Amino acid sequence: MFKNYFTIALRNIKRHRSHSVINIAGLAIALAATIVIFLVLQHEYSYDTYHKNADRIYQVIKKDVSPTETGFQVGVPFPATRALRQDFPQVTFGELYKSFGSQLTVMKDPNTISSRRFIEESGVFFADPEIFSIFDVKWMAGSAAVLKEPGKLVLAKSIAEKYFGTWQSAMDGYLKIDNNILVQVAGIIEDVPSNSDFPFAVIPSYKTFESNQQYFNYGEQINDWGLSTSDHQVYALLPENMKAASIDANLETFSRKYYRMESATKTSHFLQPLKNIHFDTRLENNGDHISNKTSLNTLALIGVLIVLMACINFINLSTALAAKRGKEVGIRKVMGSSKTQLRTQVLFETGLIVLFAGMTAVLLAWLALPYLRYIADIQQQLTLINTGSILFLVITLVVTTILAGFYPSLILSSFQPVEAIKNKINNTRVGGLSLRRVLVVLQFAFSQLLIIATIIAVGQMNFIRTADIGFDKEAVLLLQGNNDSTSLARQAAFKSDLLKLPAVKSVSFTMDPPSSLNSWTTNFAFNNNTEDLPFSLYLKTGDEHYAGTFGMNLLAGRFYTTADSARKVVINETLMQKVGIKEPSEAIGKTIRIGAGKFREIVGVVRDFKNNSLRDGIQPTAIISYPAFYSLTAIKLKSNNLGKSGEAIQQVWDKHYPEYAAETRFLDESINEFYQQEERLSRLYKVYATLAIIISCLGLYGLVSFMAVQKNKEVGIRKVLGASVGSIVYLFSKEFTVLILIAFALAAPAGWYLMNNWLQNFTYRIDIGAWVFILAVLASVIIAWLTVGYKAISAATANPVKSLKSE
Amino acid sequence: MIKISNLEKIYRTEDVETVALNKLSFEVKDGEFVAVMGPSGCGKSTLLNILGLLDDPDSGSFLFNGIEVAGFNERKRADLRKRNIGFVFQSFNLIDELTVFENVELPLIYTGVKAAERKKIVEDVLDKMVIMHRRNHYPQQLSGGQQQRVAVARAVVNNPKLILADEPTGNLDSSNGNEVMQLLTDLNEQGTTIVMVTHSEHDARYSHRIIRMLDGQTVMQDLMV
Repeated sequence: MFKNYFTIALRNIKRHRSHSVINIAGLAIALAATIVIFLVLQHEYSYDTYHKNADRIYQVIKKDVSPTETGFQVGVPFPATRALRQDFPQVTFGELYKSFGSQLTVMKDPNTISSRRFIEESGVFFADPEIFSIFDVKWMAGSAAVLKEPGKLVLAKSIAEKYFGTWQSAMDGYLKIDNNILVQVAGIIEDVPSNSDFPFAVIPSYKTFESNQQYFNYGEQINDWGLSTSDHQVYALLPENMKAASIDANLETFSRKYYRMESATKTSHFLQPLKNIHFDTRLENNGDHISNKTSLNTLALIGVLIVLMACINFINLSTALAAKRGKEVGIRKVMGSSKTQLRTQVLFETGLIVLFAGMTAVLLAWLALPYLRYIADIQQQLTLINTGSILFLVITLVVTTILAGFYPSLILSSFQPVEAIKNKINNTRVGGLSLRRVLVVLQFAFSQLLIIATIIAVGQMNFIRTADIGFDKEAVLLLQGNNDSTSLARQAAFKSDLLKLPAVKSVSFTMDPPSSLNSWTTNFAFNNNTEDLPFSLYLKTGDEHYAGTFGMNLLAGRFYTTADSARKVVINETLMQKVGIKEPSEAIGKTIRIGAGKFREIVGVVRDFKNNSLRDGIQPTAIISYPAFYSLTAIKLKSNNLGKSGEAIQQVWDKHYPEYAAETRFLDESINEFYQQEERLSRLYKVYATLAIIISCLGLYGLVSFMAVQKNKEVGIRKVLGASVGSIVYLFSKEFTVLILIAFALAAPAGWYLMNNWLQNFTYRIDIGAWVFILAVLASVIIAWLTVGYKAISAATANPVKSLKSE
Repeated sequence: MIKISNLEKIYRTEDVETVALNKLSFEVKDGEFVAVMGPSGCGKSTLLNILGLLDDPDSGSFLFNGIEVAGFNERKRADLRKRNIGFVFQSFNLIDELTVFENVELPLIYTGVKAAERKKIVEDVLDKMVIMHRRNHYPQQLSGGQQQRVAVARAVVNNPKLILADEPTGNLDSSNGNEVMQLLTDLNEQGTTIVMVTHSEHDARYSHRIIRMLDGQTVMQDLMV
């Protein structure tokens, strides 16, 4: 029986080759898209699930509630760890201090000078041994106990190999952190899986951090409960059967005990489950990205819709073909086939096509995976074949078979044998056109929705790229160095050598360019008032050449100079307005107290510049001088073309900082990086909009084929009566144009609603103009006409004698 | 074998009611060869569809082998049909996507005969019909006469008690037509009951008895000598 099904299925696939190709191609594209989406979701939801105690691991989060805003921080004050251990003895707490852009000098023994220097952007964590009672790592040498002592460090295998050749030879070797802190390798762990937000790579003991505090610029404040940095984090492992809620309740009491409760901002803590760390967009994590669950859900929905679209195509094409198969069905029924047998046969055939499509899809997905990083936040190569994906594929194929095959099987098996055998099955009996019309409208509505989303997302991206950010980001080279005392001491000489280079226009030392993802906020008071203002002040630090190097515009006053930089401050327009001053000149001479410091005099007001990404609004900002934090050298070049001056700058660096590795990048590039996620999102829209258009065009082609069969006789009679080719093409196109317009009526409001919501993420955004919708509907009408055109013309030019004879 | 009495079938469209069978009664005995004749639209085909259990009468009785089958549902009819009735059509009605062998094999598949046994039975029948050499060809590759021989082979492969033939020579030239009539006569002589609808007086002469129909009723029954 199945051999017979198989034979006839294969022959049917061959016989209706163009239909089979459309079906397989449409399904394959859709399934490939869905497989890729599945892999993305699988990867995102797998973060840190491998820890054996994953459901008992929590991060201690700090919550600051002020009258105007509620803020969340992953940073916990340094003294909190000890207090937490004291007050919650049943819980295991571990603490770590994360270090960015640390320079690591590799040394075989501590007395020789080494030129093997590496800068690690991430992965450097000063950790206490308890961290590894909480998180699982596999020890290849040593154990967590080595982290009990200062001056010891653990390396991940690949880093150990990178530094020392083999991980075995790394053991007992030395590293110097930022040219100051000497540590000895005392343990090796296997590399942390890529689906972790804890990319432990270089792990000095936390004790090392504590005994070298002078290098980290926290000063005496390190014991202050008012200071917290997102680099100092605390994690908890709860005992079995203990509820996080019970700890949370006690954390309220804990907070009241340790924090100053008289301040306007109330601080408290709560436990964040490990499984939320990858998804909580209010907070940051230690991995390379945070996933937005809404985006992931949207992605899943797109996957489901794309497969549905392909199933709709399949249904349309199969039912269009059903009329042609009437005779076969009739004969089979006369020969004694039951309805169930016929249905099984149709489902079997569908299954075979879906299987072919599935195999093609796996190939397509395999080809597409290397390009995934351009459209998703996932930078690592995902593996296509794993237990989850195979299971997913099998389930998807079965579900697709049922979705695509069930309706056609019902239609085919319900044919009356007497009519079927006499070729009396015409398409009005094959379920009518109305269902197919509805399906095509849905398809087109979905692809138009994606077209609208794409136009808007691309427009917004262009807007951001070309938007005025309030300063000049062109031709500024950034050199990331260090802010240890040795480095700082050499800055003046370094700068004077740089200025001798013909390509260099100006040089400024700073912590941060005007636009960056870092934010440093503080409480502040204005104009000699003792009371703090109820909102936070954003700080940028730089020397007296900051404004000039970054091309900022002064609205009033001047920038501070070498002589008065310690006592003066420059503010932006937003801050000026927020403290109630209308004219920039009126702000000059007023004073401002930053944190708990002394009042400084405002000497200048700069035009607003974008301090963060354009997603956020401009914050009230002050620019101050703070030399201890100047680790970044900003070099304004005379032209955007770096050319040979890159080498010259490097030589100057090596002359002054032989023991430091230099890391350079252009400011405009680093600003573009802010929008990587959006860039990827707009690419993602483009890809899926294209897929949706292709699939719906395949479907349209199917429906036109169906109509061509159905209108065969009508076209014949019309032609005999003298209809022109043009009028017959019109006959076909008219209907689809109407369907597309109906689809548009659904897609346009939905698209407007969704994208208007998305745009709310950006403080600076484009208006959604009517042209977006006009473009979308025109594009889909033109694409549809092109698709319909071919079939319509071939139907219109067919010999009418043939079509009439068949009756 | 067949006994129908007061059989009625009425086709209704929105505003026209067509009486296809009007209280028709007759009987066909085991081993008989009966020809049904009449002008177009007299209800011959409707009758054959009902006799073939492809359609259901609106009223009246239809005893097949003594069993009342009027009112059987589709599944029961299909079951009875596939074991007892073979069909030969004017337009052959072979499945274009299947080879000669596979077309003939089809009824055996639906009656659940094992593959090895099917092969033997099909080959026997194809041999008998002298079409064995064409076993791997597709219907389009055969002449009309050959196609009808395949159709007859398919009709008899299950050893049915009854063969219903609907103008079996309608699409054939006279020599191929005679060949097919001879095949049917041979089958009848071996004991198969045959009911044949035809327009051809020549073909009707092969039968034992002619039932002439007009407007859904029998008008005359001629006994052939």
